[in-house]
Amino acid sequence: MWDQLLTFLQALLDQTGAAKFWWGNAVMILVGGTMIYLALAKKYEPFLLIGIGFACIVSNVPGSDLILPGGLFHYAYQGVALLIIPPLIFLGVGAMTDFGPMIANPKLVILGAGAHLGIFVALIGAKAIGFSIAESGAIGIIGGADGPMAIFVTMKLAPHLLPQISVAAYSYMALMPLIQPPVMKLLTSKKEREMTMPPMRKVSRLEKIIFPIVLAVIVNMFFPGVAPLITMLMLGNLLKEVLMVDRLARTAGGGLMNVITITLTLAIGSTMAADSFVTLKTLEIVLLGLIAFVFGTGSGVLTAKIMNLFMKNKINPLLGSAGIASVPIAARVSHVVANRANPENFLIYHAMGPNLAGVFGTAISGGIMLALLGVQ
Amino acid sequence: MIPDTVEGAILLSVIDFFLSFIIIGGIGVVLSLFPYLNRLGEVSDHDLKAGH
Repeated sequence: MWDQLLTFLQALLDQTGAAKFWWGNAVMILVGGTMIYLALAKKYEPFLLIGIGFACIVSNVPGSDLILPGGLFHYAYQGVALLIIPPLIFLGVGAMTDFGPMIANPKLVILGAGAHLGIFVALIGAKAIGFSIAESGAIGIIGGADGPMAIFVTMKLAPHLLPQISVAAYSYMALMPLIQPPVMKLLTSKKEREMTMPPMRKVSRLEKIIFPIVLAVIVNMFFPGVAPLITMLMLGNLLKEVLMVDRLARTAGGGLMNVITITLTLAIGSTMAADSFVTLKTLEIVLLGLIAFVFGTGSGVLTAKIMNLFMKNKINPLLGSAGIASVPIAARVSHVVANRANPENFLIYHAMGPNLAGVFGTAISGGIMLALLGVQ
Repeated sequence: MIPDTVEGAILLSVIDFFLSFIIIGGIGVVLSLFPYLNRLGEVSDHDLKAGH
């Protein structure tokens, strides 16, 4: 009878998640907890890290069907896998964004290309250590610091790497206030960081209405591969700028964006199950992503310094690192670093110009990559 | 189109990086023409907000 009881208890235990728990789950629960800590204690992108961190923790408690086909998180992930969520995020982003700083100073848009060297350093590095060229392209796009674009390109080039790439992209975006400043300070002098910028011209309502229409036509014509994202970005912006459909703009940038953000963070966190995540490949991708961000920051600053060699009215080189697409985080970092060097320096509005241009820079880089690799 | 080699990765990167400069630069040129749009007339925020 005693043996029977023990057998019964063993069978009961085998039904629980505890029987399948391994050290990898513990590591990932710690990773998820760290994300939540960074969000709460350091205020690093709480809108992203709280959801991702919590879903990561829950996905590493074995036994439930949350992440299995038919489970709750599985359906959230389908929104990502079927490329529904990224365009909807861009709809919300467009509805919340004022492209005035980009329109007001067209010279600064070149920084939106200059800050993307990191994409290609990571791409070449990934190929050198054994990834395929398609996988390397997907890994490289982490350096564009654009979450929806990273997801979009990865699903086209290397969908099996989506968990690692999306986690790396969103995590590094949230950690930009840690990653960027040391690189920015290394490449600039205090005098350069103190440089103030003159006030920008006022952009008219007509310009702001025409902008999304013109950009959608130009980018979609040359890079149809990224049309879903650019179309929704520009539609959201048009809804905002025409002023007469305020209800739609508020929904796109408000309630809808919140729903999509919750779904996206659950989807990303749910991919962080230890079985597929605790691998050497993940570590390689995470390291390559960091390299991409560092080189992107550096190349942006250096592009600004090169521009200053040819410009009569110099620009603060810290604007260069804002060319990384992470809106508005990179612009905010440029502003903070400049403000710390000179409390009279308020760069945020100027930094938004290259920051917004970086969104198009990433889309263009991604579009060219898809075209050269023969992917529609 | 691009070979799956390190050389192919370098080629892809060089083409992509410089082509993106050209395209973004072109967008910058288009944006520099935007002030001329204001010659077409002014759009009033008040009129737009009045809606339909």
